[in-house]
Amino acid sequence: MHGSSHTVSALRSLLSARFPERRHRACGGVAASVGPIDEALGGGLPAGRLTELVCEAPSVGGQTVVARLLAATQAARQRIALIDGADGFAPGSVPGDMLRHLVWVRCGGPEQAFAAADILVRDGNYAVVILDLRGCAERILRRTPTSVWYRLQRAAEAGTVAVLVQTSFALVPAVPSRLVLHGPLSLGDCDVAQEAVASRLSVRMDRSHAEAPRELAG
Amino acid sequence: MRYVVLSVPDFCLHSLLRGDPALAGRPVGLVAGEGGKARVTEASSEARGVTAGLAATLAMSRCPGIVLRPRDPEAETESHRLLVAAAFTLSPRVESTGAGCCTVDLQGADPVRTEALMRLRAAELAGAGLPVRIGAGETPVLASYAARCAQPVLIVRDPAGFLGPLPIGFAEPTPEQLGILRGWGIATLGALTALPKAEVGRRLGSEGVRLWERAAGEATRALRHVEPARSFAAQWDYDPPVESTEPLFFKLRRFAERIALELRGSGFVAEKLSLTLLLEDGADHRREFRLPEPGADVEGWLRVLSSHLCGVRTDARVSGVRLVAAPARPPEKQDGLFDTGLRDPASFWENLARVAAIVGDDRVGTPVPADTHRPDAFALERPAEAVPPADAPLIHPPCGPTLRRFRPPWPVRVACDRGAPARIEGGRLDGAVCAAIGPWKVSGDWWKPQAWAVETWHVELSGGGLYQLARTDEGWCVEGMLD
Repeated sequence: MHGSSHTVSALRSLLSARFPERRHRACGGVAASVGPIDEALGGGLPAGRLTELVCEAPSVGGQTVVARLLAATQAARQRIALIDGADGFAPGSVPGDMLRHLVWVRCGGPEQAFAAADILVRDGNYAVVILDLRGCAERILRRTPTSVWYRLQRAAEAGTVAVLVQTSFALVPAVPSRLVLHGPLSLGDCDVAQEAVASRLSVRMDRSHAEAPRELAG
Repeated sequence: MRYVVLSVPDFCLHSLLRGDPALAGRPVGLVAGEGGKARVTEASSEARGVTAGLAATLAMSRCPGIVLRPRDPEAETESHRLLVAAAFTLSPRVESTGAGCCTVDLQGADPVRTEALMRLRAAELAGAGLPVRIGAGETPVLASYAARCAQPVLIVRDPAGFLGPLPIGFAEPTPEQLGILRGWGIATLGALTALPKAEVGRRLGSEGVRLWERAAGEATRALRHVEPARSFAAQWDYDPPVESTEPLFFKLRRFAERIALELRGSGFVAEKLSLTLLLEDGADHRREFRLPEPGADVEGWLRVLSSHLCGVRTDARVSGVRLVAAPARPPEKQDGLFDTGLRDPASFWENLARVAAIVGDDRVGTPVPADTHRPDAFALERPAEAVPPADAPLIHPPCGPTLRRFRPPWPVRVACDRGAPARIEGGRLDGAVCAAIGPWKVSGDWWKPQAWAVETWHVELSGGGLYQLARTDEGWCVEGMLD
């Protein structure tokens, strides 16, 4: 395992040296205001790339991440799109002030969500596009052609938008970064400030171009 | 209309003609085969008396001035890229169906705007030497039939009326099927679809059913989407090398037409052009032009290039030319002093309209909570042009995990112990409650017929998971998950 990661690193270095123009542009990122996630990603969601956030159990904090992203982008006065595959977003659970920069797309399934994402990721007006596929039928998601993901990835790379894909299981092939939320919240967290709840989330880096998997306790 | 087909009849011939200015207005024929077996495959309208399949020697005797040429694969590739680029300006879902043919999935596109764009593209491509025919219909096969009949644009709004009189050959029957259908006296698609599909299937088998579906314009298929252009460059090698600027201008115009369409299809404009002349002696002449205003205006680019080329002197003949456009986002709107507006308003509103066409007009926008305590009451409004600054810090910042709603709520059976939920049973959720907070009782609109009242609980299941339960007159339900 150790040897293979060395081989991959060497291959990446070789490709970067041979094709410098194909290297990914470093164009910053968007801080999610969720300590463990920002730490794992080295500062926030990378712009021009896909990041997958897997919520592998109920109540692990996926929706809290969405709420924190809304707050962070509002503070930075950036526009954010939420493509809601299973129509689960609850506007009433977020302060109204945090919604004025949001474009919410209430989809009737993953097919609509992918079609909307294909359009909005290419739009140059959004800092963050969240593609939330939790709650969509697993059977349909698993049938998604790989080309859909590569197409989305290429579209993201062509711009400066940070794309966060939320799933219930690892789904996106060859995603640059995959984080897993795995520590369930308890009822005691209901009285804690949301910012503190977000900072306690248990995040595991499952896949990264930069680093080997590691545990980041929240 | 859901699909559009862009098709160029006599594609190989037109590709050859648009690549060589010397052939303009002359009788031209494309030939395949060698020596005495050479036959004309396509002929220009000026080549009177020459038809496809005619022997080359016979073509020369019928039309003495005819120019006979073999196919030019490079010119065909360039023309096809132009066609694909034009298709991408209609929708990002494009299939390169074959040489000189593209199929476009219009899902989410505004039909009125698309129709105007189709006519514009047809005129532009005709001006670029590629007389395209554009057909639109509800299925790919219907759109391809329309493209074959278009002059130059045809939108099929009444499939039955359009298909009825078309010859049966449009549905591409096999020779055996054609013989059988002729025996039945069937010569049009309408005559075939007038027969019951099942009866046709019984007599002609599954192939017959597929033929019937093609004849009815019902046959559909998944498109194999291609990626839009990632680099905006074009190159041509002259054989023999050229000494004057006319051939250069001709080729540069063709390049510019294609690159400008590719940029538009990808939502970019050019901010810089790079021109390279490859010389016969191995040297090259390179020059970069920063455009005064980033754009995708072909005439503007050519003005810049021609003013430079007119003064260029080289030591050797030009054996090749390369043009590269550096892409950039369209010029950004100037922000106000205190707002952060849209960077590209046209694309923002157009894309929102396309998304609305996919999910529904009432399902996209900015949510605004309604002025009521009624659960899940909100309205979707048109997004603001500028992102407003945050108000003063909240007196009561949000606490705890955020609710993720189940729409519609999941009905469950709840067993209570001393008034609090103790166990949940239902189709999707089942388990003992290990902790519960509540109840929160709210009601409203008591003066109206649609009065409502709800009692809400937050519960933690012993198997994990926080949920929001609600009890109304209709019973218990799970409103969502605290996540």
